[in-house]
Amino acid sequence: MISIKARNQIDVWIAKYPKDRQSSAVMQALKIVQAENENILSASTIQEVADYLDMSGIAVQEVATFYENYNYKKVGKYVIRFCHNISCMLNGADDLIKHIENKLGVKTGEVTLDGLISVKKVECLGACVGAPMFQINEEYFENLTVDKIDKIVDNLK
Amino acid sequence: MIDININGNIVSAKAGEMLIVVADRENISVPRFCYHKKLSVVSSCRICLVDVEGAIKPQPACSTPVVHGMKVQTQNVKTKNSQKSVMEFLLINHPLDCPICDQGGECELQDVAVKYGSDISSFSEGKRVVTDSDIGVLIQTDMTRCIHCTRCVRFGVEIAGIMEMGGTGRGENLKIEPFLEQGIQSELSGNMIDICPVGALTSKPFKYELRSWQMNSIPSIARHDLVGSNLLVQPYKGKVKRVVSADNDLVNEIWISDRDRFSYESLTHKNRLLKPQIKVQGRWNQVSWEVALDYAVKGLNSHILNHQKADQLGGLVSNTATMEEFYLFKKILTEVGCDNIDYRLNVKNLDNTIILDSNIKLDALEKIDYALIIGTNIRLEQPMINHRLRKATKKGADVDVLNVMVFDFNYSLHTENIIAPNKIAFILAGVLKSIMINNGQELPDYLIAINVDEMAKNIAYKVLNSDSSVIILGEHIINNVDASTIANLVTKIAQSTNSRTLNLSITANAIAANLVGCVPQNSGMNVNTMLASDMRGFILLDIYPQYNFHHLGAAIKAFEKDDTFVISLNSFKDDIVVGYSDVILPIASIYETSGTHLNINNDMQSYIAAVKAPNEVKPAWKVLKVMADLLELPGFNYEDSTQVLTEISYQSHVSHTHDINGNLASYHNGISVIWQNSPYSIDAVLRHSRTLQKTKIGQMNNAYMNQTSAKALKVSVGDKYLGVFVVITDAVADNCVFINTNQTINIQGQA
Repeated sequence: MISIKARNQIDVWIAKYPKDRQSSAVMQALKIVQAENENILSASTIQEVADYLDMSGIAVQEVATFYENYNYKKVGKYVIRFCHNISCMLNGADDLIKHIENKLGVKTGEVTLDGLISVKKVECLGACVGAPMFQINEEYFENLTVDKIDKIVDNLK
Repeated sequence: MIDININGNIVSAKAGEMLIVVADRENISVPRFCYHKKLSVVSSCRICLVDVEGAIKPQPACSTPVVHGMKVQTQNVKTKNSQKSVMEFLLINHPLDCPICDQGGECELQDVAVKYGSDISSFSEGKRVVTDSDIGVLIQTDMTRCIHCTRCVRFGVEIAGIMEMGGTGRGENLKIEPFLEQGIQSELSGNMIDICPVGALTSKPFKYELRSWQMNSIPSIARHDLVGSNLLVQPYKGKVKRVVSADNDLVNEIWISDRDRFSYESLTHKNRLLKPQIKVQGRWNQVSWEVALDYAVKGLNSHILNHQKADQLGGLVSNTATMEEFYLFKKILTEVGCDNIDYRLNVKNLDNTIILDSNIKLDALEKIDYALIIGTNIRLEQPMINHRLRKATKKGADVDVLNVMVFDFNYSLHTENIIAPNKIAFILAGVLKSIMINNGQELPDYLIAINVDEMAKNIAYKVLNSDSSVIILGEHIINNVDASTIANLVTKIAQSTNSRTLNLSITANAIAANLVGCVPQNSGMNVNTMLASDMRGFILLDIYPQYNFHHLGAAIKAFEKDDTFVISLNSFKDDIVVGYSDVILPIASIYETSGTHLNINNDMQSYIAAVKAPNEVKPAWKVLKVMADLLELPGFNYEDSTQVLTEISYQSHVSHTHDINGNLASYHNGISVIWQNSPYSIDAVLRHSRTLQKTKIGQMNNAYMNQTSAKALKVSVGDKYLGVFVVITDAVADNCVFINTNQTINIQGQA
């Protein structure tokens, strides 16, 4: 069940779009519902969002599987979303991703044993000016180097 | 009109038309995968790129509007190179498993690859593999073959009205699949097989059966509803292997229902009757046709005709027969002096029947701006008619519903009114009153006391304020206590508002039965009178009482009587038929006989036999002809069924209007039971279709009622009512039990 609090939050987004266009709020709705469910979207929560927005389940799943900011597996308290699109890639993102994998002892898409950190490779986050970059939860970190990454990750508690 | 130049030829076109539409009309071949004439344009596959003069890059023909003076090349080097590149791109991930693919030989990708592809690919990396999910018993998936044209996704959204397939994931991981593993539920789902350009979606019952080029394609007509969808029947070595749709924009466009597509499976069912049998002194013997027909004719003579008792002979026929069969059946009875003939087996009271014209054509139905639907689950009962209505709603038409239960519509309704069966007539009387007051007409007596409530007012307003409206009356009304009144009210409402009407209270080939007059003639008895009378004999064409009759107990009792001689013509074995018959003659089923279907457009659609009937089975029209010969009746010198058709006088259907009697003033109390065979159980062919029976629609088997009715009937969830499991839901109106079942009528508990 989508909580009343979440419904209220979703309604704010629905109100921003013309009448009968409530499906436009699907991305925000998924984000809100995911935040309430330990950062994971399950098939049943997708169906609930679909019902709430009067969409078909598969239409919501299309959106939910297209974007990297929705999770289907358990993720850590901190989710590192590492951009590997062209600007970041040309600036050495691939090596940095390998570095962070070695450092944490996990592959991309996995979560550390203590459940603290997970790493994901994602598409462009719109911060090419600061490539290579990643996002930890809501925060952007740009112009990354090995040293900088070590410092940032070590500070995650 | 404008002129454009394609490959050096000037062709005329409408400004703004897409290039591919013009090319198709001019028979200029342009390859396509994602483009489909009945679906929206997405221009995602890029195979239709053509060279347009002035444009630097080649343009997709499916989404390039034509303008005057445009010069297009569909065959030059630039076009060919781009098509070759697109082909190479599409084949990167497409497996080259054509030898084991069911689509092989009728695959658009294969065809285009032969014509436009290269024999070498510059891609040497690994190909992707997609794991399949089971999407149901009708459609086989092999999504590794999918080229992401999204025709099936758009079909769901735009035609079937429920989005069942979708593209999940992104980039290389994009995958076409249904939500979870719930499978595909649409009553039109089989069309996805036809529109899939590759072997990703193929027919599951046809899996690994044959290659497409091994079969013939014989045009035929579907016989399970009032539309008569055009089909291609594909047989191999005398067996129907597959059925696909044929184009006819006036009838079924290019779509057919799953019911019409998969019912062919019943033809090879082990329950087929293969030999004539006669019952001699209580024992059944399989005999030759000569012996069986001789026995049948002698029996008719000795029981009935020799005693001048033709008025004690009854002829009953189901609505599944061909028009020729109806005609010959009636002609035999008339010739022996018998007027007792009927096909309306499921009507409770034949003094209270629906007489209503259908006076709107299928293609006009999608242009209406208002429809009032009364008493039908139209989506499952008449899928192709519902499809036309859905198209009308997409263009802005409003649909109001007066039903006894909430059904799953695949378009949004203006209002959905769930009302008790015994109130429908009063609502419609209110609608008529409101309209007449509005028109300044004088009210007849029976309307004066009628109360016009909000619902009636709203409906009246909509009918009055629509330019082209239609009122649709369905099957749930046939046994309504006010059936004939309801039909008359509908006729009057239509007349006073210039609306059209559509009579969906009958189905299959019943319109043909009406036309040739398979209803009591002169002073003849109707079916219910026959069942209640002391009859000496019956001729029964394609009848399975436990599914066909409203008065089932009376029917079996009438047939079973010791001195009643019963000749049954059937396609399938049936214990009850064996129980009462004296002669059972095996007759051809669908696709095994020539004949004519008369559809709701009044089109006489004739078809030929696609396969020969198995074993010693004969087409019913031939059996009837030979019976007539043996009875020494004149005028049965037919060599083929087309001669019968020629003879059928095109007597126009007499539309009866009787005055509405005054019983509108009193409510009929009590709970009404609406018993309906579920959509895949309406005839013997469907009941023997293995795969259809396994679908969700095939499994429909419930008695729906609300809490109040359940209390009144003293049943609860898990109980059976009339032999059918009870479902308690608010979706049903008061005082109503709606039964939708795939099982036989329970004799003891008959309503």
